[in-house]
Parts: sequence; C-alpha cells; structure tokens
Amino acid sequence: MEAGTLSPSRELTPAERLRGWANRNPALAASAFLGVVVVVLVASKGLYDVAQVGLNGLSLGAVYALGAVGLTLVYAILRLVNFAHGDFLTFGAYMAYLVNVTWGLPLILGIFFAMATTALLGIFLERVMWGPMRTRGAGVLQLILMSIGLALVIRYVIQYIWSTDIRFLDVNVTDTVNFLGLRIGQTKLIVVVVGIVVLVAIGLMLRYTLLGKRMRALSDNLELAETAGIDTSRVILWTWIFAGGLAGLAGVMAAMTTDIRPELGFELLVIIFAAVVLGGIGDAFGALAAGLVLGVVIEWSTLVIDARWKTFVGFVILIIALVIRPQGIFGKSRAI
Amino acid sequence: MASEPSTAPAPPAAARNGGAILATEELTKHFGGIFAVDRASLSVREGSITALIGPNGAGKTTFFNVVTGFYRPDGGAATFQGRPILGRPPHRIAQLGMVRTFQITKALARMPVIDNMLLAAPDQPGEHLLGLLLRPGASRRREREIRDRAMELLAVFNLERLADEYAGTLSGGQRKLLELARALMTRPRLLLLDEPMAGINPTLGRRLLDHMQRLRAEEGVTFLFIEHDMEVVMNHSDRVIVMAEGRVIADGTPDEVRADQSVIDAYLGSGTVRDAESEASPVAGGGPRDS
Amino acid sequence: MTELPFDPLFAVTFESLTSIGFWTSVGILAGTFTIFTLGLQMNVGYTGIINFGQAGFMAVGAYSMAILTTGGPDGDGLINFWLSLPLAVLITIAFGLLVGLPSLRLRADYFAIATIAAAEAVRLFALNARDLTGGNQGLIGFGDEWDSVSRTIEGWLQDLGWSDPETLFPLLIVVWITAAILTVALRFIQDTPWGRVLRAIREDEDAARALGKNPLSYKLQSLSIAGTTGAIAGFFLALNLNFVNPTEFEPIVTFTGMGILILGGLANYYGVAVGSLIFWTLFEGLRFIELPLEEQQVAALRFIIVGLALILLMAFRPQGLFGKREEMVLGE
Repeated sequence: MEAGTLSPSRELTPAERLRGWANRNPALAASAFLGVVVVVLVASKGLYDVAQVGLNGLSLGAVYALGAVGLTLVYAILRLVNFAHGDFLTFGAYMAYLVNVTWGLPLILGIFFAMATTALLGIFLERVMWGPMRTRGAGVLQLILMSIGLALVIRYVIQYIWSTDIRFLDVNVTDTVNFLGLRIGQTKLIVVVVGIVVLVAIGLMLRYTLLGKRMRALSDNLELAETAGIDTSRVILWTWIFAGGLAGLAGVMAAMTTDIRPELGFELLVIIFAAVVLGGIGDAFGALAAGLVLGVVIEWSTLVIDARWKTFVGFVILIIALVIRPQGIFGKSRAI
Repeated sequence: MASEPSTAPAPPAAARNGGAILATEELTKHFGGIFAVDRASLSVREGSITALIGPNGAGKTTFFNVVTGFYRPDGGAATFQGRPILGRPPHRIAQLGMVRTFQITKALARMPVIDNMLLAAPDQPGEHLLGLLLRPGASRRREREIRDRAMELLAVFNLERLADEYAGTLSGGQRKLLELARALMTRPRLLLLDEPMAGINPTLGRRLLDHMQRLRAEEGVTFLFIEHDMEVVMNHSDRVIVMAEGRVIADGTPDEVRADQSVIDAYLGSGTVRDAESEASPVAGGGPRDS
Repeated sequence: MTELPFDPLFAVTFESLTSIGFWTSVGILAGTFTIFTLGLQMNVGYTGIINFGQAGFMAVGAYSMAILTTGGPDGDGLINFWLSLPLAVLITIAFGLLVGLPSLRLRADYFAIATIAAAEAVRLFALNARDLTGGNQGLIGFGDEWDSVSRTIEGWLQDLGWSDPETLFPLLIVVWITAAILTVALRFIQDTPWGRVLRAIREDEDAARALGKNPLSYKLQSLSIAGTTGAIAGFFLALNLNFVNPTEFEPIVTFTGMGILILGGLANYYGVAVGSLIFWTLFEGLRFIELPLEEQQVAALRFIIVGLALILLMAFRPQGLFGKREEMVLGE
C-alpha cells in the first residue's frame, strides 16, 4: 500500500527496531543504558572511583527514594500532585533538630519524633484541607495552587521560627567506615542502611499486607474500591501516615548528611519529582528504584563535571524523562 | 480567499476508487488482547447515505475513532478520497473534509452557541495571528459571511433563537443538533455521525433526515452514520454496513441486510433486526462504551 | 527570593509610607508583575495550560538582554541596548518553543512539572555558568542607554513643574504604559477568531481537533506570547534593580504571579493590573506595620500570608475578584 498507512511496506531501520524494542521492554532498556554508562565511567575513571562515588550517591538516593515513595503514593491514591511534599521533608528535619539539638536528646528519638509529627501533619492537612476540597470536586489547578500555598506556609513558618541560619544535627560527620574496601562516612552508611531497610519494609507492606492490597486497589480505581466495600477514608488516612512518615524520615536523613535550611525540602523536591516520573507516577516500587538510581547517577555526574552542576543534572534528567517517557520506566501509559 | 469553497461534488478521486470516498482494508485496533476492530474492510460510496449498524460492542465508534485519527491503528490501511490517511492527526483529517460527531456530544458548553458554529467554519484568516495582523479586512469580511451562514444553519435545526446562549444551557437533544449543525459548518465531504438521532424528538429527527437528503442531492455530501433506530436505518439509508465483534459481516442495501442470516444471528441476544417495522427505541446517548 | 527586588537602603519607617519613593517602587513592581502575569492569564485563563515556568522566561529575557548588551561579566559591550530587546524576546520565544514542543502534549499536571523544571534549569544554569552569566554575582552595566532616556523624561517632568522628580519615576511611567499597551493588545486578540479557537481548546481539545484545529500549534503560540510578556517583565526588573542575578528568578516569582492571577480572576486581562496593584500595595505595606519582630521574621510573615491567601482563595473564591464563575477553568 502507499506510504502513510500502518502495515509496514518496507523493512524497519535498525534505529526504529531498537526504539520499538525499548518501548516494549523499558526496564531492560533502562538497565542496558545504565550498564553502558557504568562501563564508560569505569573505563575512564576506574572502578574504585566509580564505586566510591556510587556508594556516596546511595545515601542521597535513599533520601530521594523515601521522598518519592510518599509523593507517588499520595498521587496514586488521591490524584494530588503535592508541591508541599518537599516541605514535609523540611518539617521533619527541623523536628529532629528540635529533639536532637534543642532538647539534647539522642538522634534516634529525633528520628521517631520527626516521623510521627510529619505523619500527624499529613493527617491534619487531609482532615482540614484535602478531604473537604475533594468532596467539593476541586479541579487540578485548584489543588496544585493550594499545595503551592501550603508549601509557602510551611516553609516560611519554619523560617519564621528558626530563621534562615544554617543548622546541623548532632551527628558524627567525620568518622568513616570501611565497606567492601570503600570508605563511607559513618552517618551516610547509617542513612543508606536505614533507608533501604525502611524501603524494603514499605515494599513488603504494599505487596503482602491487607492494607497494602487495599491501597493498590484504591490507586487503580477509587470508585470501584469504594463500591467493593473498602473503607476508603481509612486507607487514605494510612496513605498520609506513610507519606508523612517517609517524608519526615527523608528530611532527617538529608539533614544528617548535609545541613538544615528552610529551602532544604523544596530543593530536593524537583529530583524527587524526577524519581516519581521515572518510576511511573503512582508506582511505589518504581519510585523506590528510580530514587536510588537517580542518587547514584547524579553523584556519578560529579566525576565528569564540576560538582556545582549536580542539581542542574537532576533537572535535565527530569526534563528528558518527561519528554521521552512520561509514563516512566515501569509505568503504564497514564501520563498522556 | 473569502470565496466559498466549491460545492460541486465528485472530485476525480471518486472515479479512481470506484466511487468510494472512504475505504478501509484490514483495519485493526486492539486494546490489550481485545480486538475492538478486527481486520475491518469496507468502503463508503461517494454521495451515499450509509448506515453503520451492529450490536453493542461491535466496534463502530472505535472504527470512527481510528479512521478519523483519534486512535492510533494497529494495522490495516484507510484512504479518504483516494488519499491514505492512517496515522494522520485528527485535525488534518477534518481539514481534508472528513468530519465526525461524537456519541457523547462535545458541545463547547462554556461558549455561546453561535461561537460553537463560527469556530467550525473553514478558511478563516482571522484564526491565524499573521492573518489577523496582515489582512484584518479579509478577516472581518469572512467573519460576517460565516455568521450569516451560521444563523441559517441554526434556523434549519430550530436553534437560531438560542444563538447567544451558552451551549451548556441547551438540552441534550438540542446539543446533539448543535453538534450536527456545527459539523455541517465545516463544509465536509464525508460526515461521520455517531448516533445522530439519539435523544431527538421524531419531528426534528425527520427534519434532520430531510436536510441530509438535501445536502446529499445539492452538494454531494456523503453520510456515514451509526444508528440503532432500525426504522431510520431501513427507510432512510441507501446502504447498510453491519459490524459485529470488530468485523464487517454484511454490506448491502437495507433489504439485503435485513434478510442476511449472519446479521440476524449477530443481533440475537441484543434485539432483532425485525424491529424495523415497529417503533424501535433509540438508545440514549451515553450508553455503551463502544456501540 | 527571600529578599525583594527592592533598594535595600530604603528606610523602613512610617514616614516612608507617605513617601513618593516608596509608592514609585511599589508601582514599578506592580507594573512589572502586571506584564509578567498577563502572559500567565493567556496561558491559564484562556488556553488552559498551567505554565509554572514564567520566571524562567523572565530570566531568559533579562539575561539575554544583559549578556547581549554587556558581552558577559568580562565583556566590553556587545550590542546596542535597544537592539538587544527584540533579540532577547526572540531568544525567549525560541526557548519557549524548545520547552513547549515536547511538553505541551503532556497532561496538565505533568506540563506544570515540566515547566517548573525548565525554569529551574535556567536559573541553575545562570547560577553555574559563571563565565557567561556572572554566576551569583550577576551582571551589571547594561542600563546606560536607559539611564539617558530616563534623565530625558526627568527633564520633561521638570518642565511640567516637578522641581525634583523621583529618580525611578520615568521607569514607572514606561512600565505602566507598556502594561497598558499589552493589556489592550491581548484583549484585542482574545476577541478574534484566533482567540475563539484558543477558548475552544481550553474547553475541549478533541472537539477542536474534530473541527480541524491543531491544539499544539495554538498552545505553542499561547506559550510564546507568555514568553514575550515574561521577557519584557524581565527587562523592567533588570532596569529597576540595575542588575540581574539568579535569585530574582526563583519559583516564588511564578507563584506570586499565580497568586496575582487568581486574585484578579481568571479570564480577565484588566483584572491582572488590579490584582497586581492590590498585592504589591499590601505586600510592601506590611513592611510598615510595627511588630515586635526581627526583620527576617517580618519577611517570612509576608510569604506566609501569600501562601495563606492562595489557599483561602482557592478554597473559597477561586474566581478571584473579577473572574466569571462560568468561565472558571478551575472546576474541571
């Protein structure tokens, strides 16, 4: 038939065939691409440097992954793009500061306090703001702008109370530990381990518990889940508990490895968005994987370009992700 | 530029295609494992009034969506006026002269009825920023022309007194008429109507059918319409194409199709073809996902 | 920006409340943001696309003008200032097309994320590409031609009887004349067949497609117009401060524009100016309320109020002051 029809009347070019294969096997294609990147880096910089930098990147990746899972859950179940999520991280960091530095208590208490208070914040906002707006049938723009207003309020209340002074948690930032022949800061190692443990726990929860199954049911189809008799308001509550708790933890971990400023959360938010998009918006496992990978990849970029460009690299990755595959590596075609 | 497009029917392409203004060959569309349109091959003769019927889920609306570019096809070929069209974007296909209406009407609710109509007129220099700047006079003249034409068309469907109302305030039936009037504004060569009679009272329906006949006679416009009202199908169409389970199972005159055993079999379970004689209840708009 | 594009040497006292200098500065900010937000109105109010990257357009416009005029941080001057303006606008439009082409086909919330990412990418580039943009030192020295025009206008004011005209007053005049022209221009093209297609696309893209209109083309045009107003706002911002610097283009600027947009009301170009005036008068006026707080806390308080206002407006009066309930995009 003539050109312009769909039945191929000629052989596909190698490029087209590759593209088709990549579209059908996105995870494989992404892994292959990553593999190529690793090979190139190792060839030019040496295995030791790549591994060392990669390990450091994991601690950043843990923060991204924790933030991304919470954000993607909220989107999956509530269809809300929560621009205030970054400031949940900030909130968590400052709550930990309160316990750990101001009150002088052990950091572990600070972590729990941060997670609890951020979860409570999430529940409070759901009761007072998000729930009522959903009942009134608020549209996309309304919700997005409200989340932005919320982001401003949280960040600047924090700034009001604690000023813009840079603060630090009472953690050991100098001691390093030997791990498989690589050196990693003691605190960073804790962050990586805790992060991965929590992420695995969340993964198991979503997969195997009743609550997890219900959450997945709601994320597929809220109305259907309601008619199936699931207590949606309860599931929504737990969603905010997890989102808040994970965000609070992520904030503390960011504070443990860098510093505490009111902008902390918002600056992390865009990369967290990148992880959410790359993993497939609404897909918690995808967000988890993408967050870890992004942390490592962004850290690897410092091998090639000056470190001050790190955040810029993150943005470029987000833009590329949105352009090439907005439904994410693992996602179903929901974006378009 | 401001002259009306030619209303003479029968471009040479029709003769090339044996008189078919729209032809598909092995057209296929699947969702996951379900073949909504399964190697459908049909042709619509230029200047005909052709009905597309079939039980619920036969793939009729999906067929419309694929052929007008709203869905990407998974296989097959389609030509309009001899030109291949698969893979082209919907707005290009509409510009070529194949215009469709929607099963669930898409009247632009927050715009006035008259704006709905003016929007649809083709060849408006005022719709392009450069045209606005460089040819303001032509733009204004065209606007006046199409406004006159819009009011005429609205009058055909008894809607002219609602011209300044927001389209959202119209009743369901009025909205269907508006969508039809709006489609006619585009000066189409082939009009694909998705359940045009649904929700319209019989008198107005009669008017609509008369208008279709007149358009076909005077301007050579071809109609392909999805319909469940068998009375309309049998008595007002030249040809009937029957789809079931994504496939074309019959294609002929109303009498031929009525007597076709495979058609009767396809309908057993969701009403019968024999209701042509009696009053069949039209399916209200917004019924099955796929008609 | 945690501090405002405002002359920091300005005294913060009650007497200042009645000073011409203060109100001139407020007026310039209000006018700049009117121009800035007019583009947002075209995008959000009339096309239905959520453009969160307007600060990025402002940055591209301002930096392009500054770099073209000065030749960079170590430059000796490159292009005439007046010539750099239309060139900077073209560069901004090109940037807008670059961002819009791949991202406009995305859903509304994805497009919002994409645009904010693009704007932040611009800001970070400006921050880090020190050789081109001066990094966080920014760029200065592009305002000479404007200064001579400004002094000429001051001369006219003196001729009219004002013996000691406020230095920034000429800028105030020019900003508002520009804002007025742009408002009328946008109002004009909104009432045309072109504007009609835009409204249809906002309403229902598929219906527009079925009638032969290409939504992507119109959205790109809309985005380009927003880019133009963003760039022009960038020029005025740069002339006001006499320097360009990355912190002037943080996302808060776009969010402020959104707040002004909602305050004035969607789908109403005249409302933008009103919203902007009200916002900046209140925002700047809050400086003078004597509270037993540190300056930093007052600054934070102002942003808290902006955030609260956004939330409350969205919850209780999303159509703002002049928006029509029927035209509201928000409910869908």
